[in-house]
Amino acid sequence: MVLIEEKEQLRSAEDVAEKRSTRRSALLMGGTALAGLALGRAKSAFAQSTVTDTDILNFALNLEFLEAQYYTLATTGKTIDVAAGISIKGGDGSAGGTVTVKSNPAVPFTTQFLQDFATEVAMDEQNHVKFLQQALAASAVAQPNLDLMNSFNALAQAAGLGSTFDPFASETNFLLGAFIFEDVGVTAYQGAAGLISSKTYLDKAVGIHNVEAYHAASIRTRIFQAGATAQQISQAIATTRAKLDGTNTDDMGVGVSSAGAATIVDNDSNAMTYARTTTQVLSIVYGGGAAGKGGAFFPNALNGNIK
Amino acid sequence: MSRQKDLPGRSVSRRNFLVGAGGVAAMTIAAGCGGSSSHSTTGGGTGTGTGSSITDADILNFALNLEYLEAEFYLRAVTGSGLQSSDVGSSAGTVTGGMQVAFKTPAIQQYATEIASDEQLHVQFLRKALASAAVSRPAIDFTDAFNAAASAAGIGSSFNPFADEDSFLLGAFVFEDVGVTAYHGAASLLTDKTNLAAAAGILGTEAYHAGEIRTLIAQLGGASLTAANQISNLRASAGGGNETMVSSTSIVAADSNSISYDRTTDQVLHIVYLSPSAGVVSKGGFFPNGLNGKITATAS
Repeated sequence: MVLIEEKEQLRSAEDVAEKRSTRRSALLMGGTALAGLALGRAKSAFAQSTVTDTDILNFALNLEFLEAQYYTLATTGKTIDVAAGISIKGGDGSAGGTVTVKSNPAVPFTTQFLQDFATEVAMDEQNHVKFLQQALAASAVAQPNLDLMNSFNALAQAAGLGSTFDPFASETNFLLGAFIFEDVGVTAYQGAAGLISSKTYLDKAVGIHNVEAYHAASIRTRIFQAGATAQQISQAIATTRAKLDGTNTDDMGVGVSSAGAATIVDNDSNAMTYARTTTQVLSIVYGGGAAGKGGAFFPNALNGNIK
Repeated sequence: MSRQKDLPGRSVSRRNFLVGAGGVAAMTIAAGCGGSSSHSTTGGGTGTGTGSSITDADILNFALNLEYLEAEFYLRAVTGSGLQSSDVGSSAGTVTGGMQVAFKTPAIQQYATEIASDEQLHVQFLRKALASAAVSRPAIDFTDAFNAAASAAGIGSSFNPFADEDSFLLGAFVFEDVGVTAYHGAASLLTDKTNLAAAAGILGTEAYHAGEIRTLIAQLGGASLTAANQISNLRASAGGGNETMVSSTSIVAADSNSISYDRTTDQVLHIVYLSPSAGVVSKGGFFPNGLNGKITATAS
């Protein structure tokens, strides 16, 4: 069917070939094969050690700190502890880390419609931090050291977009900075969902996953509307993410296929969003830095057992 | 900060059915392997009314019915024709209404084309996973159903979502958030990790669609935004389950913890059957002859 092929054209040629062959073999092998494909990567990340729900929720909390700080700084110029009174300390009272960011990071919004949305997302990410802190109670990790300045510069270089990138400089840059996080958040929660034992936390993780997908879609729609340059940058970022996660395939920027389909949704040839292992997510947020040591957005690694 | 415009559901609050847990939740959608009966769950007080156990295949087929509806809607809007005969099963039900939308804005046509492709792929994925157990497409109605929905929502006596691109977006809005809540309802109930992975992947895509459609409707503003929120109200009152009104400050549909809502199959059936009345409802609205499969009737 023509429609199916269209979206894939935006991916690289080898990407499409790989996807088609994967899909074909999955279908030929039937249900069991589908099971293996869907979860193979997710399982491998945790194969070597016992990871608890607490570890997974703390992994998520690290990522939520990053997102909450980004959106709160973009909309208020202040960190979450100052702007929203959210503790960055650990549940055991351990001190929170620093945030490296330029002076006066508040984005000079000129479009109320976008500023409204940025404020909404900031609220959502703050709520996710608070929810996870409450759920983890004394086990909650403190905010790790975060870098929202050198990280973007390094990523820009990796993506071939120049030597520096300031996501707080303009509305379009803000959207592209947000783009870096949101799809990754979706894939991280999706990968983690299959590993959570508690049904209650699973339900919550899926609910947060969905909210991240709403965010991702709205940001991607706005990047689409921002025009060709913004779309091309999103494609360079997506390509870089796929390189960092080791698949070289499982990501897609915003654009239009040659046959006329938009690529708002970041999903595979079965129209399913991707799941990333924690290892893959770490590689992206560390900008390729070594596990346990960190880099890019988390210069001293995450806090908690998964880092 | 919290969302200011959350709409409480008619009958069952989210908190209530989370506390109620197992039986109720077991009736919601899952995805899984064709023909497998090893992951059956027992139906609780709601759902089929048969009292028998519900297998993964039953739940997967429930999802397939909803994907047929979405695929037919988007494919007809984009191409003028629906699913191919090879994608609908034997003795498939008829589809009433639906036509190619005369898109004026290339971007909206491109969005629609992508979503049509995604929903078609979901149908194909679920049919492959279910193999011989896949239900055929049930009868689907777009003409009377959208008119009835418009009337019930207070929008007017008739509504044709294929009339123009703004109407199309409003028609899409009728479905998208519902799909998110339906798949979410299932996720925590699946015992099989494979089923969960598949459901989460489809769910992720539905949430992207919902976020996109809500963004576009908020941008349209005016009568479209007003009508969308009337539909949101109708979904809450007809089916139960929580809703978040759309606005420029409220793109995401979620609760005060910024976690998305979920719905039981009963709640979803009340919505797609456009029947708020309590008790057993087995057809109506978008499915004039009911869904195909085992989960077809509400219990309450």
